[in-house]
Amino acid sequence: MELQFEDIAKSYKDKKVLKGISVTMGTGVYGLLGPNGAGKTTMIRIMADVLRPDKGRILYNGRDIHDVGDEYRAKIGYLPQDVSFYNDFTGRDYLEYSAALKGMEKAYAKKRIEELAYSVGLQDDLKRHCSAYSGGMQRRLGIAQALLDNPEILILDEPTSGLDPFERIKFRNIISAYSKDRLVLLSTHIVSDVEQIAAQIMMMEYGVIHHVYSSGEYVKMMAGKVWLVEMPAEELVEYQKQAVISNVAAKEGLMEVRVIAKSRPAASAVQAAPNLEDAYLYIFNFRGQ
Amino acid sequence: MSLFHFEFRKLLLNKKTVSLLACLFILYSLMGFVTSLFLIGSGKSYRAYEELAAGYEGTIDEGKAVWAKKIYEEISARYGTDSRMIARSIKDQPETMLAIKYNEFTERVDEYWNGTPPESAEEPYGIALIASKLAELEMQGKQNTFAYTKLSDSLKRLTALGEPEFANILLWENLFVNWGEHMMQFLLFIPLTFIIAPVFAVERATGMDHLILSSRSGRRKIVTAKLLSILAASVTVTLIYVAATFIFGFLPHASLHGWNAAIQSIPTYARSMFGFQTWQLAVAGAVWILFTGAVYSLIIGFISSRMKSQMGTVGVSLAILFINVGLAAMGDTVTQRLQPLIDFGLANVTLIKEVFGGFKMFHVFGMCVSYPVMAVFVLGLTAVLAGFGIYRGQKNRTVA
Repeated sequence: MELQFEDIAKSYKDKKVLKGISVTMGTGVYGLLGPNGAGKTTMIRIMADVLRPDKGRILYNGRDIHDVGDEYRAKIGYLPQDVSFYNDFTGRDYLEYSAALKGMEKAYAKKRIEELAYSVGLQDDLKRHCSAYSGGMQRRLGIAQALLDNPEILILDEPTSGLDPFERIKFRNIISAYSKDRLVLLSTHIVSDVEQIAAQIMMMEYGVIHHVYSSGEYVKMMAGKVWLVEMPAEELVEYQKQAVISNVAAKEGLMEVRVIAKSRPAASAVQAAPNLEDAYLYIFNFRGQ
Repeated sequence: MSLFHFEFRKLLLNKKTVSLLACLFILYSLMGFVTSLFLIGSGKSYRAYEELAAGYEGTIDEGKAVWAKKIYEEISARYGTDSRMIARSIKDQPETMLAIKYNEFTERVDEYWNGTPPESAEEPYGIALIASKLAELEMQGKQNTFAYTKLSDSLKRLTALGEPEFANILLWENLFVNWGEHMMQFLLFIPLTFIIAPVFAVERATGMDHLILSSRSGRRKIVTAKLLSILAASVTVTLIYVAATFIFGFLPHASLHGWNAAIQSIPTYARSMFGFQTWQLAVAGAVWILFTGAVYSLIIGFISSRMKSQMGTVGVSLAILFINVGLAAMGDTVTQRLQPLIDFGLANVTLIKEVFGGFKMFHVFGMCVSYPVMAVFVLGLTAVLAGFGIYRGQKNRTVA
């Protein structure tokens, strides 16, 4: 299975939100990282076929998704950025309605609803009205909805917003287990969401995808660019104006500052092992330099 | 549950709308009840009227006509000639009421034979008048014209229907007022507008568009489900209207008297060229209201599919309804210029008295087509176009 973006462009009035995205995705988990306003949601919406690009096309196994139509939509599971509900629907109603929209058989839908409610920890809450759910519960219900018909392509827009740390870990495990032989695109601005589960991570800003690497490749790219510098707390305020800092920790009366820099930022600086978050900061702060 | 069940539930079978339907049922029942009570003072008065009227039913009796005219003149001298004023003033006097009704009937009989004055701008009506108009056209050698065919057909039908007969149709008359006046358009179509308006607009308002448009059934099957739910909701609301006004219109006096009388006995339908009995007109009327309600609902559905908000949909739909009613209420100079718009606009085409109360013919591709048939065609075409527009719109719809 292959999904190919060919020169996808989209503008809202005069603002170019996507500037000719070309990327090919196969099976596995893809992370889409970028700051707010990068164009992630627009790209996701075009992929979910709820928005049309101004230019370019998406090919599903070589065929334009608009020509594939219902058949393409039958293969996708989509969790939008904001999960919406009808006020008088219970959790079960919502999932049954989603199943009806996906054209699932009743018996199969019933079985899947029970399975997924258990997976996302909502088995005791399906009778409650969605409007009474907490933000995290609504998100989990949305995840269950997206997974309902075992989609070949799973599109998740900010899936972990509103989830507590325990729920985030559980979510990552569900997605990891699920991603075998399937394409999962996970858009987020939270690096840790994709660091461990994404096979490929796309870094996006201002409507352009800058890099598509694995987490390991990003880390390798950062070799020699992450430093630890110790300094008094009073110097830190001034220092952070001129440096890209990924972390600050108090250590024996001083502040240990994790700095992203192409060269040694201070004589006392020592190199540190890089991670994906460092790469994220590096890419979006040193781009073009 | 199928998509249709969900859509129907979203539109109608939810707490808010069911409460609204309950309120509507009470309103419609009250309307039927109150209008029936106001026809005549009390159940006792109605019984007295029914007994008296039984002796007057049938073809015209000259002696009774003279008696009725005398009483009418006395009453009009006292209360004026406004029929509503008279009706209000004598509703506790069954005998006077009967005289007034009988006098109206004698006028209808006279009109049947002699028709409207030749100088009248109305459609020619009456055996003598139509016959003279036909002779005029024959003299001019216009036997092959639409006007000749139409008049000739009218004459045949009028002759076949025969002279009007008097019948006690008091309660049926009330029913047809409730079903066939502009009040019906406001009491039925305005609630329908509010009920149907969310059908598509709600998806945008709630953000459910994302889920729907990205799903397998979200571009076509859901439209079918929504269209069916629109029709089912429209039929439900209209049936409540029809049933409540019918039941509670007849209930106060517990009588269906006049059910088999010719509709020409009812003043509003005196010029109807349809050979219906009152019960048949009631059935045709109910079906007509259901049909026009469904078409109007589909129009609202189309507007909803193009609007971003429910209130926007309500606003546009009601504007269309009010503009139609307003146009129909304009003077003759305006209505004559906009005749097709008036004839097939919502104001006229939804009223059974307009559709079945006369004998309007249209000349279409050399054929003479009656108003109801033409109206079915125009409304059917409107419904098909609305449905097609909704399908097309959903196919290309996006969340932007």
